[in-house]
Amino acid sequence: MTPPGPARQALELARKDLLLEGRAGETLLVTAPFGGVALLLFPLAIGTDVPLLRSVGYGIYWVVVLLFGVLVSLRQSAADTPAQVALLRLTGVHPVVRLTGRAAANALLLLAFELTLLPVAVMIYDPPLDSWPWLLAVLPLVAAGLAVLGTLAGALAQGLAGRTTLGPLLVVPLALPLLLSATQVAEAVRYGREPWSWVALLLLVDVVAALAVALFARSLEEFS
Amino acid sequence: MTSVSRRLTAVTVVVMAGALAAALTAPPDRLQGNLQRLMYVHVPAAWLAYLSFAITLGASAGWLWKRRASLDRLASASAEVGVFFTGLTIALGSIWGKPVWGVWWTWDPRLVTTAMMFFVYLGYLALRRATLDATVRARRSAVFGVLAFAQIPVVHMSVVWWRAVHQPPTVLKPAAPTIDEWMLAALLLNVLAFTLVYVLLLRTRVRLAVAEETYDAAHDRAAGELAGQAITTPDYRKEFPNHV
Repeated sequence: MTPPGPARQALELARKDLLLEGRAGETLLVTAPFGGVALLLFPLAIGTDVPLLRSVGYGIYWVVVLLFGVLVSLRQSAADTPAQVALLRLTGVHPVVRLTGRAAANALLLLAFELTLLPVAVMIYDPPLDSWPWLLAVLPLVAAGLAVLGTLAGALAQGLAGRTTLGPLLVVPLALPLLLSATQVAEAVRYGREPWSWVALLLLVDVVAALAVALFARSLEEFS
Repeated sequence: MTSVSRRLTAVTVVVMAGALAAALTAPPDRLQGNLQRLMYVHVPAAWLAYLSFAITLGASAGWLWKRRASLDRLASASAEVGVFFTGLTIALGSIWGKPVWGVWWTWDPRLVTTAMMFFVYLGYLALRRATLDATVRARRSAVFGVLAFAQIPVVHMSVVWWRAVHQPPTVLKPAAPTIDEWMLAALLLNVLAFTLVYVLLLRTRVRLAVAEETYDAAHDRAAGELAGQAITTPDYRKEFPNHV
């Protein structure tokens, strides 16, 4: 019997993560409502000035996506037991394939998370929607970048006692270019500029993060 | 204290004294007056933050290649000193910013990216602290030490890419430096003095790490001996002398 190729293995691993998520429903049933609560809290803290909320709504949406998206991207790594990790290693699947599978599942979950929160943000803040066609590129690119960074951080913090708090500290500062690009795309459209450079920055972050997975996955998965 | 440490300390003290004298006697800025003298600490501190994290990058990459414990110690010590100098840069920048810009903090890309760099390396130190096994700690922090350096070019180029209130580079730029010669000389002397302080701190921190490791190894050995003493193999020849 021929063993499945790396792409097939990564897809199967992603499917496994999505299946587990489908059973637990944590991203869409717990984290997304929590993000919705956060979107509701901001106006209560900064005041219910409608023009102000319209102008900051888009930025607040992306801050919530970043902070809560980190939880989504780290969730599966934090839930892995040592026995599960050991079993995956014993199956002989290459570490790059394992991390790619996880990142792919995380990217899909993050995209679903973004799409769930987007109508809530539009409803609460009523931001200008003139940049909406660019969202078709920005939403998946942010989801992919955050997913890969979260997967890397999950591998770095695997098995540590403080992994749930350490992971976000590792990811959020490194994800700054994602936040900056996502918000600046809307800003550029508002002032009549082409936001291609910001989309290119998003793509660059995604490519660098993917290269980091390819380069370091083996080092991270070694036995001590 | 070894003779190298004594000599290094003496040289550092002498150069620091010269650098202080140069900073105090250099001509004041035409617009900012004496306030601009903060530059002689702020700029060297920022330079050392870059240097520290570059050394962390090099030592981390070296560890991934050679797996030598000394490289892990160097990477970690340099990151610690770098976090200190980054904090100093931010604090001095804030003190300088209040009279010049009118605020302690402003949403300038250089300030924001520097603060992010500070948190990225705090994350590096937190990762080290959270990992108990020495080999796993060295491996994971080496990977993160390489990844984290991606921020440094962004911090340095932020004043070129996004023009805001922070001035663009004066010395480290493609064109000739745009600064008075005396000021430049005083600045370079201060950079040298602070670099010597960095070397001294780094050396001390590495030696402390070696001492910590020696202590931990001795502690583990002592604990091992106790556990071994608690369980002894029964001597059947003594207890059952007639047993064949």
